[in-house]
Amino acid sequence: MAETHSLQDMRQQAAITAKVFIQRDYSSGTMCQFQTKFPSELENRIDKQQFEETVRALNNMYAEAEKLGSQSYIEGCLACLTAYTVFLCMETHYEKVLKKIAKYIQEQNDKIYAPRGLLLTDPIERGLRVVSYNFVSIQTEQIEHFSVLFFLIRAHSR
Amino acid sequence: VPAHQTLSVHVRERLRPLRPSRYVPVSAAAFFLVGSTTLFFCFTCPWLSERFSVAIPIYNGIIFLFVLANFCMATFMDPGIFPRAEEDEDKEDDFRAPLYKTVEIRGIQVRMKWCSTCRFYRPPRCSHCSVCDNCVEDFDHHCPWVNNCIGRRNYRYFFLFLLSLTAHIMAVFGFGLLFILYHRQNIDRLHAIVTLAVMCVAGLFFIPVAGLTGFHIVLVARGRTTNEQVTGKFRGGVNPFTNGCWKNVSHVLCSSQAPRYLGRRKCAQSVSLQPPFLRPQLTEAQLAAKILDNGIQGDLHRSKSSLEMMESQSCDAEPPPPPKPELRYPGITRGNTEECSLLNKAPPTPTMYKYRPTYSPGKNHTALTHAYANQRREVGREGGGGGGGIPGYSLGGRSYPSFSDPTVLSAVASRSSSSTHTSAGTVHVSEATTTSASFKSLANQTPPPHHPSRNGSLSYDSLLAGGDEFDKAVGVSSVAPDVSGGRPCTPAAGGGYSSPFLSSQQREAEMQSQSTQSPHHHHRSSHHHHPFLHHSSSSTSSSPPPPPERERLLGEPHLPAAPAGQTSAPPPPHHHHHHHHHHHHSHHHHHHSSSSSSTSRPPRFAAPHAGPHHAYPYRTRSTDTPLGSSSTTHPPRSPHPPPLGKSLSYSSAAAAEMQYRLVRKASASAGANAAGVGGGGGGGMGGGGIQVPK
Repeated sequence: MAETHSLQDMRQQAAITAKVFIQRDYSSGTMCQFQTKFPSELENRIDKQQFEETVRALNNMYAEAEKLGSQSYIEGCLACLTAYTVFLCMETHYEKVLKKIAKYIQEQNDKIYAPRGLLLTDPIERGLRVVSYNFVSIQTEQIEHFSVLFFLIRAHSR
Repeated sequence: VPAHQTLSVHVRERLRPLRPSRYVPVSAAAFFLVGSTTLFFCFTCPWLSERFSVAIPIYNGIIFLFVLANFCMATFMDPGIFPRAEEDEDKEDDFRAPLYKTVEIRGIQVRMKWCSTCRFYRPPRCSHCSVCDNCVEDFDHHCPWVNNCIGRRNYRYFFLFLLSLTAHIMAVFGFGLLFILYHRQNIDRLHAIVTLAVMCVAGLFFIPVAGLTGFHIVLVARGRTTNEQVTGKFRGGVNPFTNGCWKNVSHVLCSSQAPRYLGRRKCAQSVSLQPPFLRPQLTEAQLAAKILDNGIQGDLHRSKSSLEMMESQSCDAEPPPPPKPELRYPGITRGNTEECSLLNKAPPTPTMYKYRPTYSPGKNHTALTHAYANQRREVGREGGGGGGGIPGYSLGGRSYPSFSDPTVLSAVASRSSSSTHTSAGTVHVSEATTTSASFKSLANQTPPPHHPSRNGSLSYDSLLAGGDEFDKAVGVSSVAPDVSGGRPCTPAAGGGYSSPFLSSQQREAEMQSQSTQSPHHHHRSSHHHHPFLHHSSSSTSSSPPPPPERERLLGEPHLPAAPAGQTSAPPPPHHHHHHHHHHHHSHHHHHHSSSSSSTSRPPRFAAPHAGPHHAYPYRTRSTDTPLGSSSTTHPPRSPHPPPLGKSLSYSSAAAAEMQYRLVRKASASAGANAAGVGGGGGGGMGGGGIQVPK
């Protein structure tokens, strides 16, 4: 496979070097809450306050999603009345909050964590079981005049 | 591409055999439902609407529509299946990680069991369905009539289906009766005959359906799942998941639809970083590693100007082996001596999360094992590297003949170690884990493709099913420590788990001593099998000898508690048998067999009182352990009955014997008693091990 690189090409790669997992906090039942205990692996990267704030915000949002409020009640009634066909057109309350959470995580990553080499993942990808902080390292390398030889070697090795 | 490979990712690798028998109950249910109702509408309703009111067919129509809608939702909706955990989540070395983790929920200790198929500790109320081969959130039961698990997401529809079906049956029967009463004279007309037939079908189905409906009304009011009710988890009385009757009902009926976990579009997170930003420092070793090309991973193209985070899956799918660059790229190394010196160092493993060589067909296993060995070697070297293990790099005018395959960089960089995290990581895990002595490793040896079915076709089944009973019994006795009846010892300090032979402290001490011996033992015996043991799908029942940690389960005196628990255990299953025989016969087969085999229990348990050396054959219940015997350890301090779900273990006699041999080796004081018991109990060792006498 040929890739063209100009000389002195700067490429930056981001790669995940390690992960910290924050587990669920089941002390109040099966409600979706995450532990706010500060993991020691993050000690050098972010401060405790920041971490707790993020996790608390997530917890609040999940609590809001699971809340038995008027919105969910109306949704349920509507679904019953329309023989659940309303689910084809409308987004459920939980899904709406999940979207909000995804946006929040993205924003937190952009503003706070990415500059520190961390990446917060959305727990929905893992079934709302864990939140993970990925340690990301950024490497920049220069591709120089060896690139031609590089192509040959690569072609050979494939 | 075969049809099954177009299924979702999670299903693709597991080619389930097509079992047409699964579809018989659901087809029958659909047939009877639709067929009878259609006949009712065609033959009975026209006369009724003329004679009385048009509201009758309309009312029936609405109810029938409701029934159908709920039936379809219960059948086709994802019950809340957890996706399989990825390799990186399981950072514990299998042979050190416990099988159970205890968590406190509103003051009550609840055990979370390690699911070896799904590779995570099951959240509370989650259970693994053996029919569907998935962990389901808030698992209720597997319903054969809808051919689906009932879990968090579709319990509401199932419940409403039952309610509406009861109403529908009553309506059909009632209006049919009305029709017949008015047609007593010409009962031999076709319409009357059909109506009679429909009434018979309705009457026949009414009793079990109404019974089941009533049962579920009680469950909803109490905030329990069928699984919890049937396994008697909260018989002692305290259910940590209930919020009161009203809140329970409104939670079932009015809560927002829970989200699907499977089949979610994984958004590739892209983060754009602007300088100034903190850059991790790569060590020299890592810079050197960049030069190495592994050639295994595919080419992932990265755009020049943006930083993209690679999805964790592609990144940590496997560790690339550190190749010998001199051999591969002779041209380069000859040319540049400066780089040569760097090429010999391989980056160490990130100890925060270990790479597990994932099992994938067609991969180079030797390369993986080589990589693993290499990583192990290098772990120690990075001990001092970098504060907090942050790799560093400097741009410093250095140029490399970089084989800048992004996968190389990513894979290689991800191997950089932060070994300072190791201790933190293990500490963190250890404080979260129990003193239970059984390990995930035992559970993680998944059964071979055609291992004995879980439907009880093994001779061990009834025996092992008895193990369920014991666990239930244990649960009973541990929740209610004042249960009388032949238990000569005091409950352990933390919650009523007791042994007639050893006090919990003694048992713990014994387990400790065993633990010091067994890892040692294990490493010797299975070190070279390590990469294979991590392959979740490739183990066979004749694979390396089960780790001696299993013997730790021997410390669990489940059975002695059985006599006390037995008196209370049989009636409830029987009671539920009444409700469930129609509904759950296939699912609860092992429960029935357990109640039937419970009578065979007492003779076995006379022995324990005789002395501390006796075999416990029925200790485990993990479907995932073909070598049997691992899973049910019961932490001494947890009073909470274990979740039973669907798991029973079935071990081969050979494996049991091997295990027995290990037990003998590892425990100094096994002596003749163990030998005597083990020799005679080769088959009976199906589920467990031998208690090592103190």
